[in-house]
Amino acid sequence: MPKITISPVTRIEGHARITIHLNDAGEVAQSYFHVEQFRGFEKFCEGRLFYEMPQITPRTCGICPVSHHLASAKACDRIVGVRPTLTAHKLRELMHMGQLIQSHAMHFFELSGPDLLLGFDADPRIRNIAGLVQTHPDLAIKAVRARAFGQEIIRRLGGRKVHPIFAIPGGVNKPLEPADRDWLLGQIGEHIATAQMGLAIWKDWLEKNSAMVAEFAVFPSAYMGLVRDDGALELYEGTVRLIDADGNILDEFNPCDYLDYVGEHVEPYTYLKYPFYKKLGYPAGVYRVGPLGRLNVASHISTPLAQDEMKVWKSLNGGKPVEGSLFYHYARLIEFIYALERAQELLEDRDILRTDIASDGGTITGEGIGCLEAPRGTLFHHYWTDEHGIIRKVNLIVATGHNGWAMNHAVNLVAKRYVDGTKLTEGMLNRVEAAIRAYDPCLSCSTHAMGQMPLRIELYSARGELLETLEREA
Amino acid sequence: MTSNGKPKVAFFDFACCEGCQLTVVDSLQTHLDLLEAVEIVQFREAISDRGEDYQIAFIEGSCTRQADEERLRKIRAQASVVVALGACAHTACVNALKNLHPLEDVRRWVYGDQAEWYDTYEARPISAVIEVDAIIPGCPIDREEFIRVVKALLLGKKPPLPDYPVCVECKLKENVCMFHIGKFCMGPVTRAGCGAICPTYGDGCEGCRGFIPAPNENAMKDVLADAGLTVEAIMARFTMFNTYLVSARKADGEERR
Repeated sequence: MPKITISPVTRIEGHARITIHLNDAGEVAQSYFHVEQFRGFEKFCEGRLFYEMPQITPRTCGICPVSHHLASAKACDRIVGVRPTLTAHKLRELMHMGQLIQSHAMHFFELSGPDLLLGFDADPRIRNIAGLVQTHPDLAIKAVRARAFGQEIIRRLGGRKVHPIFAIPGGVNKPLEPADRDWLLGQIGEHIATAQMGLAIWKDWLEKNSAMVAEFAVFPSAYMGLVRDDGALELYEGTVRLIDADGNILDEFNPCDYLDYVGEHVEPYTYLKYPFYKKLGYPAGVYRVGPLGRLNVASHISTPLAQDEMKVWKSLNGGKPVEGSLFYHYARLIEFIYALERAQELLEDRDILRTDIASDGGTITGEGIGCLEAPRGTLFHHYWTDEHGIIRKVNLIVATGHNGWAMNHAVNLVAKRYVDGTKLTEGMLNRVEAAIRAYDPCLSCSTHAMGQMPLRIELYSARGELLETLEREA
Repeated sequence: MTSNGKPKVAFFDFACCEGCQLTVVDSLQTHLDLLEAVEIVQFREAISDRGEDYQIAFIEGSCTRQADEERLRKIRAQASVVVALGACAHTACVNALKNLHPLEDVRRWVYGDQAEWYDTYEARPISAVIEVDAIIPGCPIDREEFIRVVKALLLGKKPPLPDYPVCVECKLKENVCMFHIGKFCMGPVTRAGCGAICPTYGDGCEGCRGFIPAPNENAMKDVLADAGLTVEAIMARFTMFNTYLVSARKADGEERR
């Protein structure tokens, strides 16, 4: 086993690191995707007061702080034994849709768009958002506006786009102003059109690249995501559904019981723990989350335009789960449309302007679990407190964690397919990058670089010698 | 300066969430004139190019490792003006919460048996390592304040930073005092400049912008105790964003800002 050294660059690593190990014949034996996560947060939250958690935990990440903010508030609701009012529930879901809209818009247009529109083999110097502005100025402007709209939902509810001040145990701080409701409603049509433009781009690309897509990191796994009581796609509050590789339901459970169903496996080469379905064990019980996982577990979507696409999705693999990693992009666009349609429904709901926005707290229960579907997948926040509400223990399972195994597997498949075993090339790097990016991992590498992630690939011989390193700065 | 006379600007990040750099990207989108006035030579969040020739350095994030110190000194040696961008660089923000735990515990918790591979120590503001010329406080920074500070720097002036507490801005917003509605607020000792955003949106101030010069901490603790907070809760109020400052004062018994 070659020696592995990891040099942390920032709190969640500026570099994704991949090691490729060859066998005696010079063929790829195994590849690994190495990640560190921000588990330090779990430790230093110990001793804090539970009601600080919705403000502390978003500070893990400036990219999707809202997901942590809301999951944390949901856990805190249970610590004080209250249910938020219906109005508060709807307002939180509305903010969550804002988060989904901004994150999915940024990912598709700004991070993956350059790959799809300019090509995996395009010069990295132009294969970025700036290159896209040159070749597709109209689309680039629309994409920026769509992302800004999602952020504007967050800002109008919570005062700012990053680290909003909104959810508290039992509800939210502030009702929605009628003028803000009207302004937001007036904008949605434009962005639904942008999302449909994205879908057209995807379909066109898929048609031209169908052979590659069909062999690019396609593999079976189980899938996990929230669903409504009727099996429809749900992003804010629902039942966790797990299905197997053939689409059969393995289990459905209340998120509060997740510890009975989800185990975490430790591998020596990465600090990301790999969650798995306990009844099947590891590795048989590994699953995928995020847009692909969610559309595979849901039977349908409750909004009309997204449901039209969902019918197409369900026909892709004859009713069975869709397995190709690149189909994450398609699923993300379908969810982008759903989030816009759902935001519209919530804004048109006459309860949305009500001012009964918070419930009074009860007594400290000592434990709380909050769960929702963050843009990248199922997010769990679990806190234990003493009788005064002081945090004694914290467990966070983040979306990128659930997909850790799948990302590693996808990299392994792509490496075996595209690396000839003796030489690393730029084309190889691009494809590995595309495999990881499909999962939109919440690492600085997926989000910093606007089209090019900082990446380091190391090639090791069968005897563990480092043969070659290919490094790319953002 | 470049041949076109524009000052060269670079952005750097250390331990942080990058929310401040995202806020910079956002504010630049609505202040395109500013992009005309400077040349950005390094900004990992938004551009691929890396230039090592710059006059103004914006630094986001806290110093948490030995290697960070070397990098900070290198930036200091190159830049004429160093700006601490946001709470992580300014006060060490929530990163410093780890300083309240034995370092070895935190490291073992995160990295397990491989803890010795990782070089890490107490989280510190960048001013603990290098001299800082200007501060843009907040978690995250305020968009408009960022613009104000940059304009001042370009004009060669000392950037204005309010030395009065959040309460002043809160009054101007005509908010009802948080203490009157049963919430707890650090506004009386926290540096203004955010437009009292947290009270305006219904939450008490958490002190993310650091303290005003010469805050009356004991009086603030009395106010919180009168409002019904326990000693633990009072200290939690003081330490969410200001652990480093509170600990440093306790350690050497003198004021450090």
